[in-house]
Amino acid sequence: MNENRTSFWKKDGTRSVLASLISILIGLAVGSLIILLLGIFNTSMKDAWEGIRLVFLGLFSTGRNTAGALTFGFNGINFGNMLFRATPVILTGLSVAVANKTGLFNIGAPGQYLMGTAATLFLALSIPSTKMAIPGVNPSSIPPIAVWFIALLGGMLAGAAWGAIPGLLKALLNINEVIACIMTNWISANLVTWFFDVSNLKNIVENTKSGYIYKTTINGVATPKMGLDKIFPGSQVNGGIIIAILLAVAVYILLTRTTLGYELKACGANRFAARYAGIKDKRNIVLSMAIAGALAGAGGALYYLAGNTEFFWSTYQSLPAEGFNGIPVALLAINNPIGVIFAGAFMSMLNISGLQITNLTSFNEYITDVIIAVIVYLSAFSLVIKLMLNGRKKKRAAASVVDDAKGADKGGSKA
Amino acid sequence: MENAPQYVIEMLHITKEFPGIKANDDITLQLRKGEIHALLGENGAGKSTLMSVLFGLYQPEEGIIKKDGREVKINNPNDATALHIGMVHQHFKLIDVFTVLDNIILGAEDTRMGFLQKREARKKVQQLSDRYGLKVDLDAKIEDITVGMQQRVEILKMLYRDNEVLIFDEPTAVLTPQEIDELMEIMRGLVKEGKSILFISHKLNEIMSVADRVTVLRKGRYVGTVDTADVTKEELSRMMVGRPVQLVVEKKEAHPAEPVLRIRNLHVHSKLYKKDAVKDVSFDVRAGEIVCIAGIDGNGQSEFIYALTGLEKASSGTIELCGKDISSQSIRQRGLSGSSHIPEDRHKHGLVLDYTLEQNMVLQSYFDPRFQNHGFIRFGEVRSYAEKLIEDYDVRSGQGPVTIARSMSGGNQQKAIIAREIDRDKPLIIAVQPTRGLDVGAIENVHRQLVAQRDAGKAVLLVSLELDEVMNLSDRILVMYEGEIVGEFDPKKVTVEELGLYMAGAKKQDKEVSA
Repeated sequence: MNENRTSFWKKDGTRSVLASLISILIGLAVGSLIILLLGIFNTSMKDAWEGIRLVFLGLFSTGRNTAGALTFGFNGINFGNMLFRATPVILTGLSVAVANKTGLFNIGAPGQYLMGTAATLFLALSIPSTKMAIPGVNPSSIPPIAVWFIALLGGMLAGAAWGAIPGLLKALLNINEVIACIMTNWISANLVTWFFDVSNLKNIVENTKSGYIYKTTINGVATPKMGLDKIFPGSQVNGGIIIAILLAVAVYILLTRTTLGYELKACGANRFAARYAGIKDKRNIVLSMAIAGALAGAGGALYYLAGNTEFFWSTYQSLPAEGFNGIPVALLAINNPIGVIFAGAFMSMLNISGLQITNLTSFNEYITDVIIAVIVYLSAFSLVIKLMLNGRKKKRAAASVVDDAKGADKGGSKA
Repeated sequence: MENAPQYVIEMLHITKEFPGIKANDDITLQLRKGEIHALLGENGAGKSTLMSVLFGLYQPEEGIIKKDGREVKINNPNDATALHIGMVHQHFKLIDVFTVLDNIILGAEDTRMGFLQKREARKKVQQLSDRYGLKVDLDAKIEDITVGMQQRVEILKMLYRDNEVLIFDEPTAVLTPQEIDELMEIMRGLVKEGKSILFISHKLNEIMSVADRVTVLRKGRYVGTVDTADVTKEELSRMMVGRPVQLVVEKKEAHPAEPVLRIRNLHVHSKLYKKDAVKDVSFDVRAGEIVCIAGIDGNGQSEFIYALTGLEKASSGTIELCGKDISSQSIRQRGLSGSSHIPEDRHKHGLVLDYTLEQNMVLQSYFDPRFQNHGFIRFGEVRSYAEKLIEDYDVRSGQGPVTIARSMSGGNQQKAIIAREIDRDKPLIIAVQPTRGLDVGAIENVHRQLVAQRDAGKAVLLVSLELDEVMNLSDRILVMYEGEIVGEFDPKKVTVEELGLYMAGAKKQDKEVSA
């Protein structure tokens, strides 16, 4: 009985992972097929073969050798850049996953990400650190790391507050969170445009003809490298990825090990039963959206605190793609916080592959967008794929009828 | 077999296997034209599987189905519909946001040039509704009407499609005694018009009163087919359960002590209708007695319980529990102050169906220091507690504590809820239709538990629509009609007929606070 139990659970977990892996493989295959077709009709089979190898192994590409052939091996820069780019999508992916686990669809991650970005930049630039200090004129004894911390925290809080708005609307007025999220997304875009317009930060940041460039390094504020630059020298990687992974683990623990997670998931699975059990469903909806918002806000904060990034502000602010990319990441990870780490890393790996394809072949990086699109499309079908897997392992199938019948059968053997 | 009677449906030697289990093992069911044939068996006996085979939802591994003597292949519900086989499912297949009329015609709409012809349909449905006394409000949305009325919509749906073979899957589970009598009349009427009825039930009274023959299943196997004229209820229940079953609850004289629950002038406003759903209700429940609120479905019982448990706000009045006014307390506080609640709808309120059994077992106590430490769940404690409850209350499930609640049978789901609520050990137990949809064995179990709690000095407030249960179990009966308590009775001194008159609003006692 006991063995049965664990093997079943293992199977369910593995099936979920398998379903995602199959989506990924099909996505890569479709990308390869497109390259193959392009190769046949446009360039040459040799080009196509190189492109296909880069689709699968772009991360390990080390350029071309003197003979002009592609070379592969461990590439620290690629790895580091992958981790760097994964940081924001892991966090927005977590944001979407947390909300999903509690029965809410957080399409508001872009807005929360943007609010986090704005708050972080404001704090990182307007609290003068020791680097900005001018003796006698502008004395400051705040170390940059303290400013960094305040800025990160502020970004998370801003995201949380922004996420809480659709949560409140849902809880108190029963307004669908998807609609509220889409609206708050555009409100945040305009709000941020307005905010940077009226703020005094324009005076301290670089300005170009078409806009202003915000860099936290002006104030000496940047996420510590935490030794990662030693492992991946020459890459953009910084400690942000470690913070993102720690947050993913924290979310995992929150959802699976705590009473708060129990309450949040109960509200998501059955709001009526949660109410019946005395769980404050309205509070939990707001809380869930606030946590989701804080995670998306952290994504924005960590991306712009990286030290090598800059926020370009012009008179019109669009919604950040990192926010929307959280949705496919969460889908691919089947809303599992730990899975989100890998899904986010995979998405940014495709990005790196795309760059390699652009740099080394006649194809361009948009091929990876096609791959991502196919994968997202398929991961929405991951349930179907899971069912197909179930069909192959018929014995494991757990139809409700079976359990009914089993119950009766056991009853018989007991009586 | 020359003179064999004309069978309209024959299911011969049906075997349906699911991974690891034979849900139907060589079952034969023959339905004569114009008879009411009952299919009797406990939950999980394979009744639903057999009917799903007939309805084309499952394909049997072995066996054949004949319609009017000709072998047919039923691959999906559309084939079944084409053969004029109709089914009223136990769990209604209705669209919540559609009106009653839309639900009835859905899938069988008359259209002219792509436009719905509702007027004809409305007339036909209205005629059917009048003819069979199936009162429904054709323009109400499903989500706004009572479970009882939803049932009537399901029956109308089947009648609207002119089906010849009608399958009723536990149709009386939610009906009142009078409504059940009416339904029985309807069924007899249908049979007279040449329709044939398959009646799935585990209520022996109904089967004895309406069915011509009974086929009994047990644990997926065929036990036998008998004429109801030739058997007694006791014999049938033995065939079904496999052991003798006690049909009447055995209980000693009640010794009520001090009042645990004291309700005064409670009013609850109805959201749906612009009037009070509960009007000026006052009564006490004392320790060591079972007080039953009887009444027809939709007379304010649900709203009253919601107000009592805090799921909805009362508009005025006081509720005192153990001497403390709880009317402004939250749901959680009320639970902790001293009441446990077996809810009416176990899927909606009682369980988080996607949670495991053990998670559901601590639904009301996960925040207790016993099960958490600084906000972290103590999994070991939860597991051993769940295992203890499963053992003590004989909750059966595929994988023990880690079974997903959704995959459990209704009876075991209810057992889990009862285990959880009784084990909380509160002075007041509120049980709303605790035996709804359960089979004889499970009902016996629930009744025994409630009586045991009464004998242990608990106050039990029971809300039931089933008069048998009311008469059997309660020490005091309150009848609720249109939100008011219209009478108080001693079950030993009142007849079912008398109660029925009060429940239908034909009689009313003078108002006085009962104590």
